[in-house]
Amino acid sequence: MLRLIIRRFLWFIPVFFVVTGITFLTMHALPGGPFDTDKTPPAMVQRMEQAFGLNRPVYEQYFIWLKNAAQLDFGPSLKQRGRPVAGFLLPGLAVSAQLGLFAMGFALLIGLPAGIIAALHRGRWQDRGATFVAILGVSVPPIVMGPLLMWLFALQLGWLPVAQWAGLDEGIIPYLSHIILPAVTLGAGLSAIIARLTRASLLQVLGEDYIRTAHAKGLARRTVTIRHALRNALIPVVTYLGPLAAAVLTGSLVVEQIFAIPGMGRYFVSSITSRDYPMVMAVVVIYAFIIVFVNLVVDVLYLFIDPRMDHGL
Amino acid sequence: MVSSSAQAAGSRAAAPSRRSRTLWQDTLRRLLRDPVVVICVLYLALLIVVAIFPSFFATASYDQTSFPNNFAAPGTVVSEGKLAGHTYWMGADKLGRDIYSRLVYGTRVSISVAFLGAAVSFLIGVSYGLFAGYSRPRIDNIMMRIVDIIYAYPTLILIILLQVFLTALAQKEPEQMGTIERMLVDLDRNSGGLFFVFLAIGAVSWLNMARLTRGQVMHYKQQEFVQAAQVVGASDRRIMGRHLLPNVIGPCIVAETLAIPSYIYTEAFLSFIGLGVQPPMPSWGSMIADGYGALRTAPWLILFPALALSLTMLAFNFLGDAVRDALDPKLRDR
Amino acid sequence: MRNPFWYVLALTLVLVLAAGCTAAAPEAGADVGAEQATDTTADTAATGEPITVRVSTVSEPSTLDPNLAEDSFSITPIEQLFLGLTNLNNETGAVEPELAESWTISEDGLTWTFNLRQDAVWSDGNPVTANDFVYSAKRAVMPETASPYAYVLYSVKNAAAINQTAIPTDTYDIESLGVRAVDDYTVEFTLEAPASYFESISSLWTLRPVPSWTIEEHGAAWTEPENIVVTGPYMITEWRPAELLVFEKNPSYYNAGQVQIDRVELHVITDQNTELALYESGDLDVIGDSATSLPIQVLTLVRENPTLSAELHEGPRASTTYVGFTMTKPPFDNALVRKAFSAAIDRETIVRDVVGSGIPATQFAPKGVFGAPDPEVGIATDIEQAQAWLAEAGYPGGEGFPTVTYRYFSNTLEEALAQALQAMWAENLNVTVELESMEFPAFLASTAGTVPVEEMPEMWRLGWSADYPDENNWVYEVFHCTDSQNRSRAECTEADELAKAAGSEQDSQKRIEMYAQVEQMMFGDEVRAAPYYHRGFTTLTKPFIQRAYSTFAPVNWDTWTVVEQ
Repeated sequence: MLRLIIRRFLWFIPVFFVVTGITFLTMHALPGGPFDTDKTPPAMVQRMEQAFGLNRPVYEQYFIWLKNAAQLDFGPSLKQRGRPVAGFLLPGLAVSAQLGLFAMGFALLIGLPAGIIAALHRGRWQDRGATFVAILGVSVPPIVMGPLLMWLFALQLGWLPVAQWAGLDEGIIPYLSHIILPAVTLGAGLSAIIARLTRASLLQVLGEDYIRTAHAKGLARRTVTIRHALRNALIPVVTYLGPLAAAVLTGSLVVEQIFAIPGMGRYFVSSITSRDYPMVMAVVVIYAFIIVFVNLVVDVLYLFIDPRMDHGL
Repeated sequence: MVSSSAQAAGSRAAAPSRRSRTLWQDTLRRLLRDPVVVICVLYLALLIVVAIFPSFFATASYDQTSFPNNFAAPGTVVSEGKLAGHTYWMGADKLGRDIYSRLVYGTRVSISVAFLGAAVSFLIGVSYGLFAGYSRPRIDNIMMRIVDIIYAYPTLILIILLQVFLTALAQKEPEQMGTIERMLVDLDRNSGGLFFVFLAIGAVSWLNMARLTRGQVMHYKQQEFVQAAQVVGASDRRIMGRHLLPNVIGPCIVAETLAIPSYIYTEAFLSFIGLGVQPPMPSWGSMIADGYGALRTAPWLILFPALALSLTMLAFNFLGDAVRDALDPKLRDR
Repeated sequence: MRNPFWYVLALTLVLVLAAGCTAAAPEAGADVGAEQATDTTADTAATGEPITVRVSTVSEPSTLDPNLAEDSFSITPIEQLFLGLTNLNNETGAVEPELAESWTISEDGLTWTFNLRQDAVWSDGNPVTANDFVYSAKRAVMPETASPYAYVLYSVKNAAAINQTAIPTDTYDIESLGVRAVDDYTVEFTLEAPASYFESISSLWTLRPVPSWTIEEHGAAWTEPENIVVTGPYMITEWRPAELLVFEKNPSYYNAGQVQIDRVELHVITDQNTELALYESGDLDVIGDSATSLPIQVLTLVRENPTLSAELHEGPRASTTYVGFTMTKPPFDNALVRKAFSAAIDRETIVRDVVGSGIPATQFAPKGVFGAPDPEVGIATDIEQAQAWLAEAGYPGGEGFPTVTYRYFSNTLEEALAQALQAMWAENLNVTVELESMEFPAFLASTAGTVPVEEMPEMWRLGWSADYPDENNWVYEVFHCTDSQNRSRAECTEADELAKAAGSEQDSQKRIEMYAQVEQMMFGDEVRAAPYYHRGFTTLTKPFIQRAYSTFAPVNWDTWTVVEQ
């Protein structure tokens, strides 16, 4: 397993170079720069770009960035003049990560049992019902569900706060009460996907011969399901955890905006639109790292779920 | 064939014999037996008809505005102007346009995106994942790292670049364009702006499918039936297509159908930043995005497109379930 | 490790427990929320609790450095932290003394002398002297600082030359800048040419003194809450990125005794529907007070609610939206076509049904900007006249008119406006206009003055907000044929000469007459652009706060008072 982990981290290096290189090139190919506004005279814009070294050849700028990045210095933001990029992204990342974990937890908590029940009662009302609810969850996007939940639980019933973030330092209860609505909004669609995947996969596995053998052996239905079937049925779900994590991070953009949560999501789009080159690069690096890390976790989980699987070591 | 003579012979055979069918014929037959499936197929067929002949179903033009009636509730009748006498079946949007008619015209865009997006992503993704999962570890590793790279790259940048390039291109006179450039512009124009939407969606969506498929393949390729086939000397292609595919495809179909709303929202986002269909041409995704903010004052702006989307999703999903069940070799004997 | 299912089960159990705890939390959470809501309204100075007001902003400031700020989201906090020579009165918009007690202008109009008050101090105790002003002006103009707003100081002698020096190849002499400290409490500005609008400029944030010793010690980090030194009524004590900025009363401010609000929390809320929800729940006290007006759906909700509509305050703002024409691109090279398109815009409908706030516009600068004609001149909405003009141009009933493009940038309101304009032109003139949206920086780059005509769209969307409330900032700095970006690519006419001359004209009455002519020429006769609405502010304030609503001046929190409940 250690070899697997080391290998994965080593793979991050080429991924890093390719992704950052392409991103850097394409960002600088986009028209417009960070200092363009409809008011600033073009000559002034040019001088500002010069002051920040943006008129140098692109490859030269990239090497400078690489050199700094190697020392973990991602530079100052061009929009937030003078403030280092890391000062925004790291706190934002922490917040988004917490929101994401709660959302995923919610998704698994609702999705797994729902999928299992649906599979065990295939074709009956539990199955159709669970599928129906799941579909609604997936086709009602966060942009609709968020304000709806906010209106119902916060404005009408007054059970939960309307929006904003309360860190753990403000107390466990404010922390949880502020995080519920955004986590549910973000996790609802995901729980639907998990439910459906679990169902499909469990049905698949339940038809396997070794399940029949277990039944024939006289084992109780429940034992068979839990001990034998579920483990293998979880493979697609585990595989999906990878894209799930990524989806949570990017999907958080909308949820964070609706609930005024100071997460990292906003920087994905805003940094590109404001041509804040150092910010874009930092966001890309963080994102790439998360992807590689989550895939590592997925592969490690594979090891536990199915020791027979060939892991490509 | 054997069956007729067997039946004629009556009690001679111990078990009833059957005509041999291909996997796909069998699937089709089983599918059509389920009433839910039939309803779903009919609904999707209806959508396709609406997409091809929207003017037949719509009650007004999709871009006819009527400012005094903006946000009008369903059932309101227009008193004056170009739309005088018209009833808003599903209410009016923020510029007074008929939501029902916009929904009808929007079907074309949304259905194309849903069907084609799903089909392309599924085909590419499943093939890639199948191949990667079954290959030697080194090849698998490289293929999966490519997936990681594409995944980590912010495609938004590429999309904006594409949009800027295309706009600049479209402004040029036809004589000034090179052959490739002209081909691209024509493709885009003929598809109503959707070509680049598919490009953008297709570029990223197959990744999840690939990963999912690969994970499934990694599990199933250790199973006895695969080993048996290998021993017998079946070619890799046969093993992948005939043995692995029907077993791994179940969750893949489900995942693909679940990804459809994301294609629709991606299309809405793309049209917002200038790629794809331009306003006032509607699409379900952009109608939902438009209605955001009016949730408390005029919920019908979001309600109806979301309903349409949900119904379509239900149809796709039940159909997907049925296809999965029908393809499942274990269920064949029932 | 053998059976991982138990791990899954354990995880599920943990989550269930967590969910259980969370389910119990809501009542407590609601209590806490309710407590906070009533907290601020009941407190008065008598109980000793700080009076706190919670304000929202749509975007967080990009900088707190006066020499570097360019957007209103940064300017508003900056004006609470740093005082200037003068200040624009929130209620009347007039220029008032602040750090300068009085000022004199020389006969030839080239020298402005400001006499500073002697009791102003920095929050670390140092007195505010004339040297601080000189330092700040120099810093703003120096090319190394890369200040995006240095151009507002170009009326000062040599400012333009210094600022435009191509470093590092060329050099400049900063001492040649037309500003000097006559003595500790007198600052003198020497201008390039007489400029009566310099009075407005003296209130701008770019000129406001900054603490040279702090900047030298901390560099770019001098604006961090732990380092910053200010002159204004408020200090910044906390900045949580993308979340919240906290300002507290500055005891060293010379008028500190009159400042009633002890603490202002500036919450960053991007989504304006959420902004309203937070106001309704009592989590915010003032909303909609930033440069973006509340969208129409939010306004509809507010106006239909008796409590909320009583707390809604609306008024004009020094900001105009217009349709720009590429005057060198047919068919818009014909003035009649431009007139037709301008007259075909139904301005009332746009303001009432699409935007929900603001006032219709036919000229560029709104009433209240010095020099802006009242009543407005320019082309008014007149469908029949529009059709007549189009026919006169050679396209009766829209026949034969080519399909043209209107380009705008991606934004919810802009999309609605674009579609409304498209529909109006189609219905009133029977012409086809295609819409093209682009992301903002790409849009700016694609409509710049240097873009070749073939790649320009025929029409495009732009707007303008005042830097300072004088027509010089409007017709001259935006539309002058050579001295501005001139995106319309207009040819030089008498209007440009007049606009330039009015800038250096010293007689106010004469200036007003000249600008009235310029507006009529540029937007009524030549129709370089079709202004169609002036934006308005839409602010909701809880009744316990008494305040002015400024049209042209950035808000000053220190003038707000609290009413006893």
